Amino acid sequence: MLKVRNLDVHYGDFQALWDISIEVGKGKVVSIIGANGSGKSTLLNTIAGLLKPSHGVIEFRGESIHKLGPHEMVARGISLVPEGRRLFPSLTVFENLIIGSYAPRSRKKRDLALGKVYELFPILKERASQMSDTLSGGEQQMLAIARALMSDPSLILFDEISLGLAPLIIKNIYQTVREINQQGITVVLVEQDVKRSLKAANMAYIILEGKVVLQGEPSTLSEKTVREAYFGL
Amino acid sequence: MKILQQSRWILLPVVVAALITLPLWGPSYWVLFILLCSLYLAMAQMWNLLVGYSGLISLGQQCFIGLGGYTLAVLSVYYGIPIWLSILIGGVISVLFALIISVPIFRMRGVYFAIGTWIVAEALTICFASWDYVRHGMGLFVKPAYELSLNQIYYAALAMGIGSVILVYILLRSKLGLGLMAMRDDEGASETLGVEIFRSKLFCFLIGAFVTGLAAGVFYLYQIFIQPYTAFSITWMVRLLFIVVIGGIGTIEGPIIGSIIFVLLQQVFAEYIHVGLLLLGSVAIIVMLVAPKGIMGTIQEKLGFEILSPRRK
Amino acid sequence: MQDLLQPIMNGILLGGLYAIIGIGLSMIFGIVKLVNLAHGDLMILASYLSLVFMMLLGVPPLVTFVFAVPAMFFIGFVLQAYLINRVLGKGMEPPLILAFGLSIITQNCLLLVFTPDARSLISSLSVTTIQVAGFLNIPVIYLIDFLIGLVVISVLHQFLQKTYMGRAIRAASDDEGAAQLMGINTKNIYAYAMGIAMITAAIAGVLVGMTFTFYPHTGPQYLTIAFGVVIIGGLGSMIGTFLGGIILGLAQLLGGYFLGPGLQLLSGYVILLIVLTVRPQGIFGRVT
Repeated sequence: MLKVRNLDVHYGDFQALWDISIEVGKGKVVSIIGANGSGKSTLLNTIAGLLKPSHGVIEFRGESIHKLGPHEMVARGISLVPEGRRLFPSLTVFENLIIGSYAPRSRKKRDLALGKVYELFPILKERASQMSDTLSGGEQQMLAIARALMSDPSLILFDEISLGLAPLIIKNIYQTVREINQQGITVVLVEQDVKRSLKAANMAYIILEGKVVLQGEPSTLSEKTVREAYFGL
Repeated sequence: MKILQQSRWILLPVVVAALITLPLWGPSYWVLFILLCSLYLAMAQMWNLLVGYSGLISLGQQCFIGLGGYTLAVLSVYYGIPIWLSILIGGVISVLFALIISVPIFRMRGVYFAIGTWIVAEALTICFASWDYVRHGMGLFVKPAYELSLNQIYYAALAMGIGSVILVYILLRSKLGLGLMAMRDDEGASETLGVEIFRSKLFCFLIGAFVTGLAAGVFYLYQIFIQPYTAFSITWMVRLLFIVVIGGIGTIEGPIIGSIIFVLLQQVFAEYIHVGLLLLGSVAIIVMLVAPKGIMGTIQEKLGFEILSPRRK
Repeated sequence: MQDLLQPIMNGILLGGLYAIIGIGLSMIFGIVKLVNLAHGDLMILASYLSLVFMMLLGVPPLVTFVFAVPAMFFIGFVLQAYLINRVLGKGMEPPLILAFGLSIITQNCLLLVFTPDARSLISSLSVTTIQVAGFLNIPVIYLIDFLIGLVVISVLHQFLQKTYMGRAIRAASDDEGAAQLMGINTKNIYAYAMGIAMITAAIAGVLVGMTFTFYPHTGPQYLTIAFGVVIIGGLGSMIGTFLGGIILGLAQLLGGYFLGPGLQLLSGYVILLIVLTVRPQGIFGRVT
């Protein structure tokens, strides 16, 4: 469904990603794992269109998308839950949700999407008229995920969704990710937490200093190889 | 290009020598031309120091221009104080004023700072226009200036122009300058050096006020007549902006090129001031769209050399 | 004491007009993150447009709203879409310089086309006054200014709170990147926001033309008023902007009353500088 080929991404003179190639099959869960600063967020942001690659190709359903702006991704069914959530503090919970359906394609299905999202995260319905920055960390993460779902995506990119959350809440969030995937939505997970993301994934890529150093199905990767790749040993 | 760069220490003195001897071999309209260029250059260098290197977007340099000019007029006409001393005092008064307003103004950041400086200038306009002592809106004539020859004023202006370039050159290579450039490249990181930054910026602001006040004094020797609506007018900022932007913000050579182009255009459009201003505005916009670094900035970027400016990334 | 009531009343009423002048600047500053130095000049452009429509069509000034408003929306939209959007994100100086250039161009174009003569949008409304409580003379036009100010601010508030585009605008001003991730074409939104700001400038321009005389170079004077409103009232708050207008109006008229009409503007400037120093985010603004 999503193919990244020979991707190079620069921040000015600094090269963050080197010749990255990744494949995400339809309906699968793909984990991209790496330490802080390894380039995982850069990769997701480039796929989502916030950054432009200096070299390489990104294809989604056969179409080249790496030159498009982020607002054009939603129309194609790609949604990003960004690092740090990036909720809109001037908007209420409800407004944050419906702004997720801003794109014309998603707007028609808005009420349906809202219903599904409230089913998935009942707490959001309760807090619908509260300002989004009054929510707890876990609730904010739920809102961010829900907001991304409102655009009716076929591919969701999750950027470090467990950051700063308590273990029990992380467990719930991962359960939700599983449920989302079960509904047929393709998932790409970017994480620092090796164990969880391996457990959730069909396919894993380990990134170190902007390069893919290891890839494979989690069942075939031993903990030792993963650890070595992660730390560059 | 390399040859150009390496021979600059030969070319520059030659150019300076030519300028110093200009009244001996050049026609008087060239003398006038360089006179005006030098004065605008001095003011522009100061503004460039503020905007391009210190990150202080001032829209109020005209405060010091007006103060410098009025000090010259008041002291030399009312009290018979010698012209050159009056101009010097004008510079001092500009610095003192800068010091006073820096107290409130330096608490404002970025765009608020710009607005603040502009409002102060507008306030000064009203104050001077309502002040009997300076004959309010009717203005003053700097009568003692009639006794000066064009060449005398020329040398004063040239000294200001060349002096400002040398001043900025030295400043930027000093410890202060390096600190400024580090700050400009990453204000966040250098904020940990808090007080240093504040002092550096303040110092640049005060120096800018002083030199601008001096240059304004010399300018009004040439202009002779001063009144509040033009002395404190935002139009000064339009001129300085054009000069620095066209030439290249954050380069030392930029204002040199910019002031030459500006005075040329000013002569061309002498009869059609408003068309000229219209052109200035349009060119400034086009430059921002097409080559935001100005002429020198773009040249420096593409060809990778500089004549006077320190390496600016 | 009774004497004071006149300047106080006038100050409050004019404050409504000042609020309309300021809200356009506030919108652009808050949403597009640009200080539109040309705002005052664009407003005066609207005054001149209104003059032209009056001369061409022989209609009273208030009717010129019908023409001035769409014209200014179009101008604002195009300016944003083709000029301003191009320099956003290139640093702090280019947008400011662009706006400054626009200001110069507008002023000098108006000077060339309309000459420096004083103009005014004259109608019977400009000169009639109502007598209240036996001693207060309220110019009808001031009352109209205030009421329209109230209407404009309320309508804008509703627009931003209740409509999809209004929410998109608020989202884009919170976080441009995240808004784009929602499928919002932020460059497009900015163009609409500028267009709306220019609508307020159009309304302000017509009202200003009816209330005062204007020249091609009076733009910057109103820019400082707009600044005053924004800075005193704070960004991002409609009520703040409205109150900012009233406070500025009061400061000016009371200053003029106590210090003399020549220093009316000065009083406004002084208040503005004080607020900038002491509380730059304004009374209702959020601390950024």
